[in-house]
Amino acid sequence: MFANYLIGLREGLEAALVVSILVAYLVKSDRRHLLPRIWAGVALAVAVSLGFGAALTWGPRGLTFEAQEAIGGGLSIVAVAFVTWMIFWMARAARSMSGTLRGQIDAAAEGSRWSLVVVAVLAVGREGLETALFLWAATKAGTRESVGTITPTWEPLLGAALGIATAVALGYLIYRGAISINLTKFFTWTGAFLILVAAGVLAYGIHDLQEARFLPGLNDLAFDVSDTIDINSWYGALLKGVFNFSPATTKLEAAAWLLYAVPVMVLFLLGVRRRQTRPATSSTKTAGTSVPSHS
Amino acid sequence: MRTTLVAVACLAAAPFLAACTENTDSNAGGAADTGNPRALSVESTDDGCQVSAAEAPAGTLTFDVTNTGSQVTEFYLLGEDGLRIVSEVENIGPSLNREMTVNAPAGKYFTACKPGMKGEGIRADFTVTAAQDGSEAPTADDQQLVDQATTNYAAYVKDQADQLLAKTQQFVDLYEQGEDDQARTLYPDARTHWERIETVAESFGDLDPKTDLREADLEPGQEWTGWHRIEKDLWPEKARDYTPLTPAERATYGDDLLANITTLHDRVQGLTYTVDQIANGSRGLLEEVATGKVTGEEEFWSGTDLWDFQANVDGARVGYEGVKPIVEQKDPELATELDSRFADLQQLLDAQKSGDGFKNYSQLTPEEIKALSDAVNALSEPLSRLTAAVLS
Repeated sequence: MFANYLIGLREGLEAALVVSILVAYLVKSDRRHLLPRIWAGVALAVAVSLGFGAALTWGPRGLTFEAQEAIGGGLSIVAVAFVTWMIFWMARAARSMSGTLRGQIDAAAEGSRWSLVVVAVLAVGREGLETALFLWAATKAGTRESVGTITPTWEPLLGAALGIATAVALGYLIYRGAISINLTKFFTWTGAFLILVAAGVLAYGIHDLQEARFLPGLNDLAFDVSDTIDINSWYGALLKGVFNFSPATTKLEAAAWLLYAVPVMVLFLLGVRRRQTRPATSSTKTAGTSVPSHS
Repeated sequence: MRTTLVAVACLAAAPFLAACTENTDSNAGGAADTGNPRALSVESTDDGCQVSAAEAPAGTLTFDVTNTGSQVTEFYLLGEDGLRIVSEVENIGPSLNREMTVNAPAGKYFTACKPGMKGEGIRADFTVTAAQDGSEAPTADDQQLVDQATTNYAAYVKDQADQLLAKTQQFVDLYEQGEDDQARTLYPDARTHWERIETVAESFGDLDPKTDLREADLEPGQEWTGWHRIEKDLWPEKARDYTPLTPAERATYGDDLLANITTLHDRVQGLTYTVDQIANGSRGLLEEVATGKVTGEEEFWSGTDLWDFQANVDGARVGYEGVKPIVEQKDPELATELDSRFADLQQLLDAQKSGDGFKNYSQLTPEEIKALSDAVNALSEPLSRLTAAVLS
């Protein structure tokens, strides 16, 4: 039960984080009217994942291993592109939030509305297929007839559902924390945090493509700490869920992580500094609680 | 409800259907109880990995993996090297079962369960045997067969080029020293090695005209050198008002031929081939037979066309046999047909043997030429389908 709980938590966490930050941003910047688009994107991704997973579980055809990995890996890389876009979009919008340019910014947000949907779809859908297959397998475990030592049990589904619920709850807590801090801090912390998340997603996508042999070097490891950090422990699940940390990382994965995280982080921090030199921030909300989001 | 879901998912899956693979019927409690040798069950515990069979016939295999341990597990089918992942299922939580469907060609594999999702996993040998029923021939192309075919063919071309160089050296020496009888004996023998790899040799556009041009194909102003220039000097009987070459001229043409063959020999050392090049080369060699040899044009002066004929057929057969394991997987009927056509043609050629070599082309009757020509055509047709079959 606990193991299934951790899988649910791990798979759900990253999507919950990205979505909660996106929602927090829209709420803080008074664009609540855009929220339905986020929820529509999430709902679409969940529906497609579940439907796809059901078809593959019960339908007459399954996906080849290579196709599954190519979809997962390809989606990951596209998701990185969109999350990166989102980070800089939020930062750019924040810079000129002094009020005078309000109308223009809203126009930009309107124009980007489909991008917001795409971010939400990708954040949820990327791990969605894998999670859906897992959930349907758990459902099967509850509905099957007993064969040999295997008896039907709803425990796995319950565990997985609780794990996903925990991920959503954590996402909500981050949202609450993020909503109560001032806007400058919000962008700095969430932006930097999302860059690390995106770097992890990119590395994970590279790993998927290596498994399907679209990319070489699957067995060329940069480091292997799987004896120290167990992916099935609660902290392993958190590390994997938040940063896509893999205890056995290939050299290509590590290189992709660095090549993405370092330059993007530098660009981002340079942008932050430039913003801070101007007294542009109009948000007067004071920091009530500190930010837990980078844990 | 479920029907709706599946319908929606199928719609969403449409772009990927090409990448889909057949699921076996898995609505029953477990796939292993159906007696289907391609349906296997796996039980993964915390310290064990029980696969219901250690071998299965080639085709679409289904592994129904059940986790009866307390840790999350994964199941892998690994290639013979133990590194290549043929297929995997991840995230199988305790008490769960998931199916892994894989299209596996015959060969050696490993199965591996990874309780806790780390380390090498609990491995066991697994063998996929050739499918007996032929109904589910594997579609995955076996990289090993391809590698083997290309490696072997490169070695064959190099070997022929070595022999060609050695015999050309001897031939040129004899010719330049005026040992005409011995030179005439060696001429078709040396050329055999050229003709066996003629499609490769011809791919060097600068060398081929200098080496293998016939007098009839000369363009105005072009200097005639190579094999056939020397051939005419050794067999001048058919020529009218022929002036034999002087020793100095012989040395010029002989050295030139040897230099060109040496260049060819050096160039093929680094060549690599793809299976479609091999298959196309095989077809190309037979076209050489049809256009040059069976007509008796190639060796106008010496009449040694049948040596060339045999050598082209040798080259075509070696090329075909190199890719035959691939053809047998993809189009077994074509392989059978090619085998019998090659045998038919060889039988006709054997009938024209004389001593170590062949009869002079002028001794063939029109009926014999017709029979050879028919056999060549009968082989050409299936051979023209070889490349497509190899690449399918």
